[in-house]
Amino acid sequence: MIEFDGISLRLGEFSLRDVTLHIGTGEYFFIIGPSGAGKTVLLEAIAGLHSPDGGRILLRQKDVRTTPPEDRRISLMYQDYSLFPHMTVEENISFGLKMQQVSPEKVKERVRRIMERFGIANLANRLPRTMSGGEQQRVALARALVVEPDVLLLDEPLAALDPITRDFFTRELARIREEYGLTVVHVSHSREEALRLATRVAVIIDGRLVAEGTREEIFSAPPYREIARFVGMENILDGEVIGTAGGYVTIRIGKCRLRAPDRGLKEGDKVAACIRAHEIRISPTPPAGREENVLSGRIVSMLSDGAMVRMTLETPFTPMIADVHRSKVIRHGLKEGMEVFLWCPPDAVVAAPSLHPVESS
Amino acid sequence: MKGDRSWWKGHRSSHRLPDACLLSFALFGSLIVVLTVLAILSLAVPEVGDIPHLLEVAAKGRIVDSILLTMGAGLNAVLILLLFGIPLAYVLARVNFRGKGIVESLVDLPLMLPHTIAGIMVYLLFMERGPLGAPLAQAGIFFEDAYAGVVVAMVFVSSPYLINSVREGFENVPLHIENVARTLGASRFQAFARVVLPLSVRHIYSGAILAWGRAIGEFAAIIMIAYYPMVISTVIYYTFTTQGIKEARSVAFVFLVVCLAVFGLLRFLTRFMGKYDDRI
Repeated sequence: MIEFDGISLRLGEFSLRDVTLHIGTGEYFFIIGPSGAGKTVLLEAIAGLHSPDGGRILLRQKDVRTTPPEDRRISLMYQDYSLFPHMTVEENISFGLKMQQVSPEKVKERVRRIMERFGIANLANRLPRTMSGGEQQRVALARALVVEPDVLLLDEPLAALDPITRDFFTRELARIREEYGLTVVHVSHSREEALRLATRVAVIIDGRLVAEGTREEIFSAPPYREIARFVGMENILDGEVIGTAGGYVTIRIGKCRLRAPDRGLKEGDKVAACIRAHEIRISPTPPAGREENVLSGRIVSMLSDGAMVRMTLETPFTPMIADVHRSKVIRHGLKEGMEVFLWCPPDAVVAAPSLHPVESS
Repeated sequence: MKGDRSWWKGHRSSHRLPDACLLSFALFGSLIVVLTVLAILSLAVPEVGDIPHLLEVAAKGRIVDSILLTMGAGLNAVLILLLFGIPLAYVLARVNFRGKGIVESLVDLPLMLPHTIAGIMVYLLFMERGPLGAPLAQAGIFFEDAYAGVVVAMVFVSSPYLINSVREGFENVPLHIENVARTLGASRFQAFARVVLPLSVRHIYSGAILAWGRAIGEFAAIIMIAYYPMVISTVIYYTFTTQGIKEARSVAFVFLVVCLAVFGLLRFLTRFMGKYDDRI
């Protein structure tokens, strides 16, 4: 549906560099990355709001270099919804149809139907400034969908909503994609949103597409240290590969050794051992039958978060974070200040090199 | 005014006295207003003391014609500025291009120039032998000592007021809104006409008032190219040099009253214009 073929684009100080990307029909494609990475620019380039300096953008297998935004059949929704403040809800929603010179009777009928679909018929004569964030969100979605686009571009559409409304709209977006048979490209910071909605994920950092894959690939086994940090892996321990054997690598971190699945690394490579907090087991005695991936440490703090307890631990090389079930805390009598052992299975350790090897070393 | 002093902006109900900082700012700032009020009084008091003479001056056909000419020419200048200034303001608001700083400086130039220099520039350009004046004269449009000369001088000196105000209005319309309009099927012009323009109407109106005010107050630039027909500034200067301060003061007072009434009304109307949300 959408293809970026070596796209380069310069906007003032910022530039997208050699972005190659394929988004299939019907996908719910997530683009994640830190602020200022170029996510919105990428979205706007798909919409035709920026012309690339190099490379090609293909839409439905057609080069769209000279196709203006109004002819791309792509709708765009920003975080602030960008409703037209001088128009009522009904005028906002009918705007696109009028621009496409749909007959007045059809405009009326389609606007009525979509307002009913989104439960906003009662807001028809209201101005945007008089509505809540959730209501504005629904109007913006209705306005984007009433023109029956092939592709819906969403720029952090849930960021300004309260948690309950956000949860509702997350489910709503999944439903809308199926109902309208859309290809959705969604830009976000949120791991939770991506985990719930994405079929595939791309990571963009400093204007470069640094990874692309299924959400499991990106979130569970991030290919780079920077991505691991961005997707919220709590423990990132810098070290060096000192051996490979049997599909695993051994990483030296200070005086400790950690084993992790081999991802094509070789001896001497600088890597980070990345471990999610919930993968770490804590016990007051050395874990029976475990000789590898065991560290000693001291509990510095414990914060209760429902059924889980988040622990900060002091280890010989770096502070670490572990999420432990409350029942285990009680069973082992774990307390702040206590000397403990940390263990994690080798398959839960991700060996990730840095995008900027010199910096990490 | 209410007893709880809620009339005082910035006053918090728990305080009995206005904020000391705001109070001192208001006192210092009011000196400018006081200066203007004193200037008005120095003009108004002797005139109000001699109403028959004032009415006699106000009823003179020459004065009425000159006021109408000045207001009309100012309006013409503003209409021309709207036609050419709005597109320029949009380009300056939305496009970054090489040499933009130079264009911006050129737009602001009439603000900085002594008006006599502006007058000479307009004269050289639009006189019958001037680069623009010559071809237009062949087409039957003359500027020297003509209404068209008054208008072009007014356009030249008032252009920065309109362009800068309109540009600010366009810049205040979030680009995202325009982008969304484009993706919904609007061409760039449609997005401009249906979305950007209505949302900038207050700035356009405000810029037009400023430009009109500046245009009708012009003297030096106008007399360089068009001493005749006499705009009100020329009439006041002519009256002063030929009939003395008393006559000139009366003409000035009549025009002052007209200006206060017209611009007061126009400013009042701004309140009801295109206020849609906090951003715009």
